[in-house]
Amino acid sequence: MKFKKFLALTMACMLSVAALAGCGGGDKPTTGGSSEPKGLEAGETYEKDEIVNYTMFIAMPGSEINDGNEIQNIIAEKTGVKVKETWLTGQSAAEAVGSILASGDLPDFIDGGDGMMQLYDAGVLVPWDEYIEKYPNIKELYSDEEWESFRQKDGHIYWANVFCNTYGESMATGHNDEAFWIQCRVLEWAGYPEIKTLDQYFDLLERYAAANPTMEDGTPVIPYTMLCEDWRYFCIENAPEFLAGYPNDGSVIVDTNAMKIVDYNTIPEAKEYFSILNEEYNKGIIDTEFATQTYDEYIAKLSTGRVLGMCDQWWDFAYTVNDIFVQQNLDDIGCNYVPLGLTLEEGKEQMWHVYGDTLNNSSGVAVTTSCADPDRAFRFLNDVLDQEIHDLRFWGVEGVDYLVDEDGMYYRTQEMRDKWADSAYQAEHRCVYSYLPQWLGTSHDGKNAMQPQEQASEFFAGLADPLVKCFEAYGAHGYPDMIGSVVKETGPWYPMYSYSNSMTTETPGGVAWTKMGEVKHEWLPKVVMASNFDKEWDAYMKAYSECKPEDFIAEMQEELDRRAGR
Amino acid sequence: MKADLKIKKKPMKEKLNKNELHRQSVLLVFTIIFVIYGFIFYYLPLAGWIMGFQNYKIRDGLFHSQFVGFDKFIFLFQDKSFLRVIRNTLAMGIINLVATFVTAIAFAILLNEVRNKTGKKMVQTISYLPHFLSWIIVTGIIHDALSNTGIINEILMNLHVIDGPINFFAHEKYFWPIVAFANVWKETGWNAIIYLAAITSIDPSLYEAAEMDGAGRWAKIKHITLPGIRPTIMILLVMNVGNVLNAGFEVQYLLGNGLVRKVSETIDIYVLNWGVSQSDYSLGTAAGIFKSVVAIILIIIANSVAKKSGEEHLF
Repeated sequence: MKFKKFLALTMACMLSVAALAGCGGGDKPTTGGSSEPKGLEAGETYEKDEIVNYTMFIAMPGSEINDGNEIQNIIAEKTGVKVKETWLTGQSAAEAVGSILASGDLPDFIDGGDGMMQLYDAGVLVPWDEYIEKYPNIKELYSDEEWESFRQKDGHIYWANVFCNTYGESMATGHNDEAFWIQCRVLEWAGYPEIKTLDQYFDLLERYAAANPTMEDGTPVIPYTMLCEDWRYFCIENAPEFLAGYPNDGSVIVDTNAMKIVDYNTIPEAKEYFSILNEEYNKGIIDTEFATQTYDEYIAKLSTGRVLGMCDQWWDFAYTVNDIFVQQNLDDIGCNYVPLGLTLEEGKEQMWHVYGDTLNNSSGVAVTTSCADPDRAFRFLNDVLDQEIHDLRFWGVEGVDYLVDEDGMYYRTQEMRDKWADSAYQAEHRCVYSYLPQWLGTSHDGKNAMQPQEQASEFFAGLADPLVKCFEAYGAHGYPDMIGSVVKETGPWYPMYSYSNSMTTETPGGVAWTKMGEVKHEWLPKVVMASNFDKEWDAYMKAYSECKPEDFIAEMQEELDRRAGR
Repeated sequence: MKADLKIKKKPMKEKLNKNELHRQSVLLVFTIIFVIYGFIFYYLPLAGWIMGFQNYKIRDGLFHSQFVGFDKFIFLFQDKSFLRVIRNTLAMGIINLVATFVTAIAFAILLNEVRNKTGKKMVQTISYLPHFLSWIIVTGIIHDALSNTGIINEILMNLHVIDGPINFFAHEKYFWPIVAFANVWKETGWNAIIYLAAITSIDPSLYEAAEMDGAGRWAKIKHITLPGIRPTIMILLVMNVGNVLNAGFEVQYLLGNGLVRKVSETIDIYVLNWGVSQSDYSLGTAAGIFKSVVAIILIIIANSVAKKSGEEHLF
């Protein structure tokens, strides 16, 4: 009896201790002991016990690499730092950042995407200022003016965008942005016609689908689909700005003649675009499930090769879908997508492709205050830009992933390319650190491309036959040529979305922006599916104007004036 | 169940003395642990309600944020979408409550009538298994089953009920029934367990006596089983009424989309959108306070109604 009582008491105590333990602070990241200079310049390598482990959260979906990844270990030996990346799953960026802030459990590095401003407001980021001066590779990333544009209201710089930054001469062959995409087999079937307008585009899709209603295995083709889920609804939402001939300012159009902000949701081009979509939907050309599909379902659909065309950003679908096309041999029958630069009337200039770098200063990589040794973290950001490390990240290990010919040019064999695209190999061998600072353009050796997809020889060798034929038929040297946008400088205000992305509900404009998003999420699919388009459009416009878009436009105009220096 | 919850009036209060305390020491230790647990996890977080009356900023913290009184509440009730999420939450809460309640009781009674022991055990086990699936899995299954090429559309088409597939998630009118169905599918078996337990505690001699009087199955259910589990039903009803505003978060969040946003968003999703995504913790807290207050009022009403009509009640 005594023993039982004792046992009960002990158990009760243990329970309460366990319940309380949950309140304790999280584990602090371990830091390396030695502070002597060591590393890339000294040409020394780090021992296992000297390597610092950092964590990084990226508010974008991505695939985690294995622990013990080979290139990650090589980089760790050379730089003394290993970064464990975690990615966004099933939430929006702002939600994920919000929950990280609410829990107080911050990673050492963070790229908060749309949630960057939340991180700044919470005061959990480490200023870059002194480190930019201290570390030459970091400083080299941007010109003084560009660095200035990252400066926040309190006078400090807290993050740097890692993308779209060209070193030396540009070697771009890709179109990383938005376009109406079409499978190259459709163009081949029609004898490579010139497709310049949205009408021609849908006409071609209709004719192809009528002649080839199914895939080889009997599943019906889907002529056109679009994604409306959460933040990815840009696939249906922002085409009017391009169709009207303007570049991707994201949330608004900038009328460069009058220097005025124009709301692209209400322009005549928007109504026409949606009425065309409505017509095609009622004809059965548009996927009936478009409005309710999730991103995963959308990607799964594209991966079967059934979808002939859609409007999307390259980075939103291509990396996953193209690898699957290779695995399923769908690339051989011409399922790969090529971009078209469409407008509503023929002969209008368009800017679907913007040549040169786009500086999005609204997000990027940041170091948080929970990093025990910020200097070490910034030294690592400097080291990953070192050419040797940069090559390891993007080209891989020499002799294993790429070879060097007598002229010093890097190249791959087909076997190497296939291996590089294999997802299992990617997890155990490749370590790109894709959201840490990086370069496009020409390598420090003056010959090779910083990233293999921009190496001219690699680009064409890596393309499937139907794609090569398609490019040849149009005389294109890369994706941008397929779009044929006008070469026009964008102003210093470009892109305006870097401002709307950082808006919060603190201001009336921010509240309007949030509500406009809610209304469009609901009404755009409704308008497309309407049986009486005009009536539905009027109802949409009424709901839209109730959000007070003018508050939003006014704040965007203020920012435009500031950026244009007026 | 019955004995635990009923508040028995004792004829005489026993005196508190050293001996009595010593005699019950083990029980007291257990009780104190739960009081401490409850204090830390249920009462301490209430201090955060202060945020609802501030313009809370993480940078300034709880102690330096500006007080704005009822501003956040005023914003809430002027926001049309907040009034809409209240409606959605109440509607789905009530539909779910009624649907899960009725099906669980009916299911328990039916199961009790099954004479084959193995069959009964098997049905019971299978039926409560979905309870252990997480909502992400359940919504995945439902999303697939109701898709254009899913099983439901296939069956309806093969039976020639419809000509082409229905896109169930594109219509506002289907959303609440789908959510109710999901809840019923997931929880019926689990909820029935408690009623089954209550049924087994009914004195078998009552059934025997009824049989002597010539009562059939239906009469026995109506006059013995149902009255027998009535106290359990009432207590669970009172407790669940307070939960009406917890109409759910995951189901609506995972099954909803832009088209049905007007009927799918619940208070919890609203809190997530404004509180976490927009970092307006104050607004989120204010909405949360509102929800708690309404829940307490609902419980008190339900409880006093139960009390007045002489039924089992909580307090």
